[in-house]
Amino acid sequence: MALMSVIQVEDYSFSYPAPGRAVLARLSLTVTEGAFCVVAGPTGCGKTTLLRSLKPELMPVGEKRGSVSVLGRSLVAAGAEQPVDARFSATHIGYVMQDPAVQIVTDTVWHELAFGLENLGMGQDEMRRRVAEVAHFFGIEPWMHASTETLSGGQKQLVNLAGIMALRPSLLLLDEPTAQLDPHARRQFVQLLGRLNRELGLTVVMATHAPEDVADFVTQRVDLGVGVPLGARAAVEERLLRPQRRRWERLRAQADGARPAARAPRRPRLPRGAADPAPGQCALVAREAFFRYDRAAPWVLRGLSVAVRAGSVHVFVGGNGCGKSTLLKVLAGVCSPQRGSVESPLRARQALLPQDPKALLVCDTVAEELAEWRGRCGYAAADERAMLERFGLAAHAAQHPYDLSGGQQQKLALAKVLLADPRLLLLDEPTKGLDPRAAAAVARRLRALAAEGRTVVVVTHDLDFAFCCADEVSLVFDGELACTEPAEAFFAGNLIWRPSGSSRLFGALLDGEGGA
Amino acid sequence: MANVFQTYHPAVAFCYLACAIVFSMAALQPVYVALSLAGALAASCVTRGPRPTARSLAWALPLVALACVLNPFFSASGSTEILRLGSRAVYLESLVYGACSGGMLAAVLLWFASYAACMTSAATLELFGNRAPTVSLMVSQVLRLVPQFVTRGRDVSAVQHAVSAAAPASRRAAVRDRLRVVSVLMGWGMEDGMVRGDAMRARGYACGARRTSYRRYRFGRADGAVLAAVSAFGAWHMCGRFAFYPRIAVAALGPAAAYVPYALLMAVPVFLQLREWWVWRSCR
Repeated sequence: MALMSVIQVEDYSFSYPAPGRAVLARLSLTVTEGAFCVVAGPTGCGKTTLLRSLKPELMPVGEKRGSVSVLGRSLVAAGAEQPVDARFSATHIGYVMQDPAVQIVTDTVWHELAFGLENLGMGQDEMRRRVAEVAHFFGIEPWMHASTETLSGGQKQLVNLAGIMALRPSLLLLDEPTAQLDPHARRQFVQLLGRLNRELGLTVVMATHAPEDVADFVTQRVDLGVGVPLGARAAVEERLLRPQRRRWERLRAQADGARPAARAPRRPRLPRGAADPAPGQCALVAREAFFRYDRAAPWVLRGLSVAVRAGSVHVFVGGNGCGKSTLLKVLAGVCSPQRGSVESPLRARQALLPQDPKALLVCDTVAEELAEWRGRCGYAAADERAMLERFGLAAHAAQHPYDLSGGQQQKLALAKVLLADPRLLLLDEPTKGLDPRAAAAVARRLRALAAEGRTVVVVTHDLDFAFCCADEVSLVFDGELACTEPAEAFFAGNLIWRPSGSSRLFGALLDGEGGA
Repeated sequence: MANVFQTYHPAVAFCYLACAIVFSMAALQPVYVALSLAGALAASCVTRGPRPTARSLAWALPLVALACVLNPFFSASGSTEILRLGSRAVYLESLVYGACSGGMLAAVLLWFASYAACMTSAATLELFGNRAPTVSLMVSQVLRLVPQFVTRGRDVSAVQHAVSAAAPASRRAAVRDRLRVVSVLMGWGMEDGMVRGDAMRARGYACGARRTSYRRYRFGRADGAVLAAVSAFGAWHMCGRFAFYPRIAVAALGPAAAYVPYALLMAVPVFLQLREWWVWRSCR
């Protein structure tokens, strides 16, 4: 064979000490120089364990069998961990993790790029050259001096990658690097990875649950666990969305009386005196809301008007920094508009699910988490157990919330707020970092909540998700709403803002059809 | 506002401003105080901008006036009586001394404002970082984590506020909620810390090599020239002797030439700004 093998994994098995279950079982894998290898599989299939086993500093602790060698160095031989020079590992094996913000160590971009080089004790001139090179390659030059806190998620992940590339590794390992990025940033990141692989001949191993994102560059694919098959949009529409859309038309027609179903009322009116609007009636109305964070800051919302109807899932989509999250805060009453008004009869019975569920999780175990508001909201221990069952968390009741996967944390946060019996639920990017199965579960759950007559407001950039669960969709643009339409009409009328023809989320929805 | 020292090595700004602060503090003599104050105002204009400087005057001028008015009540020495309030005499010497000390204080405070504008955290680290790379990394990490904690804390309390379905029923519960924000932040921060530790080790932190610090600035010839000029003016300048008591000795002010080095020292930022202006003028 002409090409040198970079990674050689033979009969490698791994199990963590506590649960005892084998995470990897007799895995063999060879990756040659210059390959772009994608490791695909759902959450918990051992992707992270495999990648960490290839990086000496991050080697997971547990029972190992078989052997692993990387770049000619043996990391695990006959189940025993071998000592590897830390300097060699740092300079030859790069590792990018999932969360963009957590990996950033220093306060400025240039310092972050130089961080790894400083660790190696490199001289000034060589450091300058390397920082200059990567800053140029990744297009970071214009914001070299920016503070890392002000960057977007996509920019942060680029800085992480660039900081690692400054070390000039021969092998790059990436653990779901795009899971937390919006679609635009994801494409940009993947393009750069492809260039690193093709132009610089870098060997890349990337774990992901969406292998189609990198399909253009992949030379080798490893499937761990049973992945979710792709599903066609047409099939979802045919089999799942019809009844949902019919229900919605019926409710609208009921609420609006004789008015044609396609036309929204010109001046949305809240039902008079009703504390809990009936499905189809307006439950949350914003009128010409103007909002900015500071007197000197630019307007984020400029005259935004919207009417959200009770018993529906109303989804707000839009590009990066269009003000979606701000809009959610204004609708939730966390920020009040400087001009215009927001009326929300359900204000006292609402719950907000933040982008990161950790903001809501405060206790040491899952069970305690659900019990936290028992006294306040007057539910019983039996309700908590029922909720654990309903969300499939019963087996995790004694675990620390931080030990759950992202999808499970999201479920826990939702279970926690649902115990408080909110009538209005606001969610910020509920599918961020979730695999297709977990995202499908969220979509199904939101539909169930709407069917119970609760009002659900979602802000997301995941169009496939919006397509599956929305009754009405609004496009946020330039601080106002470009349009608000029933989901079917909205997606039919768009050229760019359309769901994919087929996706794993659709596959997961169709897959779980029976159990839904 | 772009400050004049921006194009120079942080050592230049540091040495100059440290010199200016020390000399301004040391010289309690009307001419020197006047020069210090004028220099501090000019430097503030060219480092912080005219508008912030004008805003500073709003407290600087009352400070001088206050010191001037109050001093006679604390110091009854002097020989030129100008006013008698009850049994207390107000002497001219006292008034002038008060005005001088107020002016000195205002000048020093203005110099410090310029210092804060020129010596950002990055500049300070650049200057002292190489002595202690670990300390400079720690400072950088703290500067990274503090804003993150603040934003997160705001997010967490916003979420608590927004989950009104589980709103605290009593005041005590509300207080407990606020304390909860801290515990959420602690738990979250520690969780992050573990991942960040991994990310740091993955990039060779504590791999055995002695850390270096990336330096953004190089010390060039122009830096050397300005620094040499500052040192020369500083060395040339010697504190004059001047007596307020028992009588202001105008003759003791000495020949005007004695003030040249101090005036030159105070005018360095203005020279730099003028040079800049001249360069752009001839470019056009």
